[in-house]
Amino acid sequence: MAAHSEGTSAAAPTRTGVVGGGGSAAVALPPARRRSRGSGSWRARLEIALLSAPALVVFLAFVIFPVAMAAYYGFFDWHGYGKATDFVGFRNYTTILEDPDFHSALLHNGLIVVFSLVIQGPLSILLALLLNRRMRGQSLLRVLLFVPYVIAEVVVGTGWSLMLQTDGAVNGLLQKAGFTALKTDWLSSPSVAIWTLIGIITWKYVGFAVIIMLAGLQGIPTELNEAAAIDGASYWQIQRRITLPLLGPTLRIWAFLSIIGALQLFDLTYIVWGQYISSTAGTSTMATYMVSNGRNAGAFGYGNAVAVVLFLISLVVALIYQRFVLRRDTQGALTGGGR
Amino acid sequence: MKTSVVVKSSALVGVLALAAACGGSSGSSSSSAAASGAAGGSGGGSGKSVTLTFWHNSTTGAGKAFWDKTAADFTAAHPNVKIKVQAIQNEDLDGKLQTALNAGSGPDIFLQRGGGKMAAMAKAGQLMDITGVITDATKKVIPDAALAANSIDGKTYAMPVAVLPGGFWYSKDVFKKAGITTNPTTVAELQADVQKIKGAGTSAIALGAKDAWPAAHWYYFFALRECSPDTLSKAASSMTFDDPCWLKAGQDLQSFAATKPYNPGFLTTSAQQGAGSSAGLVANHKAAMELMGAWDPGVIGSLTPDKKPLADLDWFPFPEVSGGQGKPGSILGGIDGYSCSAKADKQACGDFMNYIATTPVQEGYYKAFAAPPVNTEAQAVVTEPYLKNVVKAYSSAPFVSEWLDTVYGQNVGNALNVAVVDLLAGKTDPAGVVKAVSAAAKKA
Repeated sequence: MAAHSEGTSAAAPTRTGVVGGGGSAAVALPPARRRSRGSGSWRARLEIALLSAPALVVFLAFVIFPVAMAAYYGFFDWHGYGKATDFVGFRNYTTILEDPDFHSALLHNGLIVVFSLVIQGPLSILLALLLNRRMRGQSLLRVLLFVPYVIAEVVVGTGWSLMLQTDGAVNGLLQKAGFTALKTDWLSSPSVAIWTLIGIITWKYVGFAVIIMLAGLQGIPTELNEAAAIDGASYWQIQRRITLPLLGPTLRIWAFLSIIGALQLFDLTYIVWGQYISSTAGTSTMATYMVSNGRNAGAFGYGNAVAVVLFLISLVVALIYQRFVLRRDTQGALTGGGR
Repeated sequence: MKTSVVVKSSALVGVLALAAACGGSSGSSSSSAAASGAAGGSGGGSGKSVTLTFWHNSTTGAGKAFWDKTAADFTAAHPNVKIKVQAIQNEDLDGKLQTALNAGSGPDIFLQRGGGKMAAMAKAGQLMDITGVITDATKKVIPDAALAANSIDGKTYAMPVAVLPGGFWYSKDVFKKAGITTNPTTVAELQADVQKIKGAGTSAIALGAKDAWPAAHWYYFFALRECSPDTLSKAASSMTFDDPCWLKAGQDLQSFAATKPYNPGFLTTSAQQGAGSSAGLVANHKAAMELMGAWDPGVIGSLTPDKKPLADLDWFPFPEVSGGQGKPGSILGGIDGYSCSAKADKQACGDFMNYIATTPVQEGYYKAFAAPPVNTEAQAVVTEPYLKNVVKAYSSAPFVSEWLDTVYGQNVGNALNVAVVDLLAGKTDPAGVVKAVSAAAKKA
């Protein structure tokens, strides 16, 4: 393992220029070393094969096979009973790409990605900084912030959908507090509903972001802060010049999880707005579009095609993000890996 | 999909079972014993031993007991046929059934919701054509129209058990409080009554648009009044919706909705879940009425504070529309039935199909589920005045159509339902509804 990582770190500089230039990196290694690695390799490979086989079989059966089947069914006009026989080529895909409902679902996903990052990022950093200081009730505050993340989506969705009804608790509270003008149709007015969704998402996931940020903060050596303080830096200067840059890797990983989560958002929308009215209310996502135009419409071939599109979009975003944003954090860990 | 049908049927079989359990259903045991004698004549077929698996969705109460007893009575009369009954939770049933049928391990007998799903199953060769096994005795008591509703191209694929026509379920007390003494017979009268009820401080019409199909019922009924039976039937096969009556139905609904007859927040109100649902609003006298199928008394009963049937419940049909091409008195109604798998033993399963259509079994069905039975003789034992009204309106209707989302199949039906919600939300116009339906028809 040690030899492996040493090899990759040596290869890394050459690789930045040439994608997939593993060969040149191997040549750069001392010959003696190659021989010693080579002699035990059949045994090592057998071990790897034996040990990883069960996991590989499960992975193939429950991840790769379903994805392949989805791709297959996406080419058929299949209604879920019997064998898929009506081959329609790329017709499902062209219909998806031309459907205005899919465009608006995509737009909603985009809004959720952007506002998750823009709202939750700064908010969670501020809260994490606050919670990272010694103070009374610190643990309680941390727990309170984290609780929404722990509660199941179904419970959160049901709770909020009840509170946000026209005659629900939220409007009741506004009425009692004298803010009658603020009372609104939180769930069914298309100009409001998407913001309601983003609000619920923020409430639910900001605790998760805070916990990740806190973990990142604890990894920053206090000596750095102390040294800066001795040099006369103010609190805000320390946060800006030391904490934030060192929090970078944590932030980038959180943003990655947040983006992928937002692209695949399904449960909250589905529970609060139900199976049918999320597109009416303007809160549909690609995943709810998949269910309503696939399963609900009995067009399983079409639904599978949507699943493939959703998969491809997520994959492309993930790859681009890894390549351009996470690259410096994952060098030698994720993107290395060659011999 | 009949997602709507799924939910409607959940109401029927799932929730009505609750109501029946509360309402007392002591009578079913004696009638079933008589039934076994009645069906005994068809004998045990070839005499070889057969086991049939049977899936239904009544997991609790009188409904579950009814099917257990029916299966046992059938075996008593046909000793060589064993029926393995399995109750599957309603929401799980469709997915499980689909997987099992595709895997070749489906049940021999199962709940059939008709429409697009039944067509898809038939097309895939998974259903038994029971046309030939239906006996004359069955044909005598089960109306042709009910059998036709479970047929495709002249082949019958399911035995109907209940008729579930739609209309207005209302609270007599709330109507009285608003000063309404006679039921509205025209849309104009309905609108006037709506304003009276709102004036008395209650929501007039409860609507669970979150589930889409309850909102779509409104469009179906306006289409039933505006379009001729011929247009409605032709659209089922041609999937063209260019007759001006489709647009007119949308305009009728749009102008009716403009008078704000529905409960506040109806777009996010669900149909059958909890006191805040549309049925719950009627059950708790927070709204005066609801346009729903004949499973509604059971649903409303399960949502009253004491979980007993609503004492002041009554029913009236959808009002007439002047100038429409529909036949006055036409009615919309779903029919639930049971299918045999193509792999089932034809003789044994056919016998069971005929058996569940017999009068004593159908009377037991009505008592267990508090829903109007499809058997015309069994309909005579219905006691609730509102169910009697429903049965009367159903049997005297000059034209009966299935719920349109069932008729036009899952894809078009789903698009229609969603488009109607969009219309009520002001997101689209009547032309938009027709456009959405036509677009979905092209996809199908």
